[in-house]
Amino acid sequence: MNDSIIILMLGGSVFLGALALFGIMWAIKTGQFDDKDKFLNQVQYDGEEELNSAAEQERKKSALKKNKEGYRPE
Amino acid sequence: MSKIACSHCHLEFDESVMIKDEDLFFCCKGCQGIYHLLQDEGLDTFYNKLGDEKLAPTTEQFEDSSNFDAPAFHERYVSVDSEGFQEVSLIIEGIHCSACVWLNEKALHKMEGVVEVFINHTNNKARVVWDDEVVKLSAIIDMVRAIGYNAFPYDPDIQEAQADKERKDYYLRIAVAAFAMMNIMTIAVAQYAGFFTGMDQNIKNILNIAEWLLSTPVLFYSGWVFFRGAYYGMKTKTVNMDILVATGASLTYLYSIYITVFEKGEAYFDSVAMIITFVLLGKFLEVLSKKSAADTLDVLSKHVPNEVTLLKDGEQSNVSVKEIVVGDVLLLKAGEKAGIDGVILEGSGSFDESSLSGESEPIYKEVGAHVVSGTTSIDAVVKYEATKDFEHSTLSNILTMLERSLAKKPRIEQMANRLSEYFSSAILLLALVTFIVWWLWPHSFETAFMVGISVIVIACPCALALATPVATMVGLGQGAKRGILFKEAGHLETIAKVDTLVLDKTGTITEGRPQVVDVRWYEEATDANKAQLAAVLNSSKHPVSLGVAEYLYDENMNIPLLDEVQQLSARGMVARYKGEVLSGGNALLMQEQNIDIAINSDKTLFFFAVGERLVAHFELADAPKKDAQAVIASLKHSGINVVMLTGDHEGVAKRIADTVGIEHYHAELIPQEKAQMISQMQAEGHRVVMAGDGVNDILALAQAEIGIAMGSGSDIAIDVSDVILMNDSLRSLEEAFKIGRTTFKLVKQNLWISLLYNAVTIPLAMAGYIIPLIAAISMSVSSLLVVGNSMRIKIMWKRS
Repeated sequence: MNDSIIILMLGGSVFLGALALFGIMWAIKTGQFDDKDKFLNQVQYDGEEELNSAAEQERKKSALKKNKEGYRPE
Repeated sequence: MSKIACSHCHLEFDESVMIKDEDLFFCCKGCQGIYHLLQDEGLDTFYNKLGDEKLAPTTEQFEDSSNFDAPAFHERYVSVDSEGFQEVSLIIEGIHCSACVWLNEKALHKMEGVVEVFINHTNNKARVVWDDEVVKLSAIIDMVRAIGYNAFPYDPDIQEAQADKERKDYYLRIAVAAFAMMNIMTIAVAQYAGFFTGMDQNIKNILNIAEWLLSTPVLFYSGWVFFRGAYYGMKTKTVNMDILVATGASLTYLYSIYITVFEKGEAYFDSVAMIITFVLLGKFLEVLSKKSAADTLDVLSKHVPNEVTLLKDGEQSNVSVKEIVVGDVLLLKAGEKAGIDGVILEGSGSFDESSLSGESEPIYKEVGAHVVSGTTSIDAVVKYEATKDFEHSTLSNILTMLERSLAKKPRIEQMANRLSEYFSSAILLLALVTFIVWWLWPHSFETAFMVGISVIVIACPCALALATPVATMVGLGQGAKRGILFKEAGHLETIAKVDTLVLDKTGTITEGRPQVVDVRWYEEATDANKAQLAAVLNSSKHPVSLGVAEYLYDENMNIPLLDEVQQLSARGMVARYKGEVLSGGNALLMQEQNIDIAINSDKTLFFFAVGERLVAHFELADAPKKDAQAVIASLKHSGINVVMLTGDHEGVAKRIADTVGIEHYHAELIPQEKAQMISQMQAEGHRVVMAGDGVNDILALAQAEIGIAMGSGSDIAIDVSDVILMNDSLRSLEEAFKIGRTTFKLVKQNLWISLLYNAVTIPLAMAGYIIPLIAAISMSVSSLLVVGNSMRIKIMWKRS
């Protein structure tokens, strides 16, 4: 068997496996398995409305932050 | 009439009792209010998400939420984040479906000033971030309550958070190790095959380099915990397992790199991955079974009444217990728990002191008597004067002492830990000797070094590392199946080593409630008589009434409706039925009905009279549990010294001890004395297990090597204990001992297996006979043997 074929096969399979591994590690790190009930029901909260409310929340937070900064004496 | 579902909570009721609101129906004003609130706020999509789920009916009684704005509250529970926003951790009550989580998050998000809300559905814990300049926490709590839930704060216990973090860290490391090891093993199969059938050097190189790449993250990322452990070990000058694993794995790794680069012999990258993965797995099992000291402080603080009713200038107000000073006048209502010690100024009634003194019967108190914090008023409404502030009150004192004794709980060192220290030192020494001998016997440095390393590599720490965790995991599983929860794996070994069992009386040996032990009917015991008595008893929640009612219970009984039912404090009940007065209660009540009682008994008596005729009397006592005698006999037979400690009177204690066959008992002990007795036994060289269920036992539970709580016991007792018996039976107590002993036996066998393995393979390695195949096989076989041996616990259990 050609050496490069072996390298290709080994490299390819390890690379694909590593992709899945990184996916899982990323999910563990970002806490996606912390709340299993919410995780399972996620589909209920994935609508447009939820996106809007998340964006609205961000806006509210930065507005509050700006206010706070405004109070700060120079 | 047809049943109809409430438009908010979906519980079904008769149409006649529902509140009609246009074409909607509500079961109560609370539900109606919430429905309209959600409608107004535009949150009515909640009902789509809720589907057919039913909600708990709303309650409308809440403590005043202004407490949440008090400086003392903020100091304890509220933190300020890096952006200057306030943050609090809450437990939201009433959440039971994902729609509830959605509603709470949504409703709070809509509030001005709320920056972030995150609710964990699995444990109902919420983190709320808000800007205190815009909105107050009390307003946030009011909102949660307005939509039908309740919230109370908890200390995000540092320990719990750390345990979570540690677990997550292990997940990541194990994921990497497992992935790399699986790949390395597939490659290794090719290498082993090549070892026998021959393989081109360039193919060998490719495989070696692939293994090198894969084993690098295993050693340096997954194996980091061992390097860290080894560092701390060296710092404290102890040779631990981590040093052996770290040196073994890294030397093998370096050696394999050398082989790969110079194209000589066989590389051992597979051993590197295997050692790290297996030992890491063993460590992880230990971390998993470690007691997550989850919310100990929360349970403690939940046990203390937060608020008391203060009477000042003729007005009632709810204030925090911490604000009470000596001399304040407080009101204690029926069913409430006292938060502060004091003396009764006005009123009288029965108190349940069983949680503090272990006394099974309720105690009648009147003006001048002392109210002890932590006791519950059964039917008394009293005004009392605080004689101590909160810090110095009994309950608060016990909790402080508890925290102290938990911190210095004795721990028996686990056998495997001790063993691994000797084992690691011995192996490192042997490797060094082998290297020196081979070098001096004229061999090249290279060969001597390789043989020396092979001694470390072959010394399978895997089996040793797995010996304890695997056996204890199986033991924990066996316990859980029988309703015995060990909070930590190490407790199995500890319980196997104890020689003294201390039992609490009330609720542990006995049922913990008065039961009828003797009856005498002065008139014929007709069904009508019994039914009338049952009707009288029905009106009371007093433990004595409940005991008699339980004795009389018959499902076919036709209980009549009585008129003018009256509860007489500390005497009993009086009611009118068909023109006659029915009375049920103690001798005092009978005297008031002009009946002379000439019965003396050390047990609790309950009389029943119709008019001025005495119809029956019942003797009640707290009876031992069914299997108490048999279990205690069998425990004593297995060599355990059984002692009973109780806060109850000498007479009662003696009677129970005699019935169940306990020779050693001590009565009339206060909680502190119980703990002292245990520490005295420990000072005499005994190892003690304490089993109890009440607040009066917590100090003793914390003091003992192992504390065992009954599942129905107070939550605080469960919290400080190491083992919980879910079904309350003494039979489980015996089984807990058996499981501990069987598991410990297995641990010892496992350790022997791994030591024997080493005794065979290490000399081979020292003689220079180790080829990679033997190394790999010996490592897997020894680990499999240990795992297989541990599974035998099921068979051993069946046989016993």
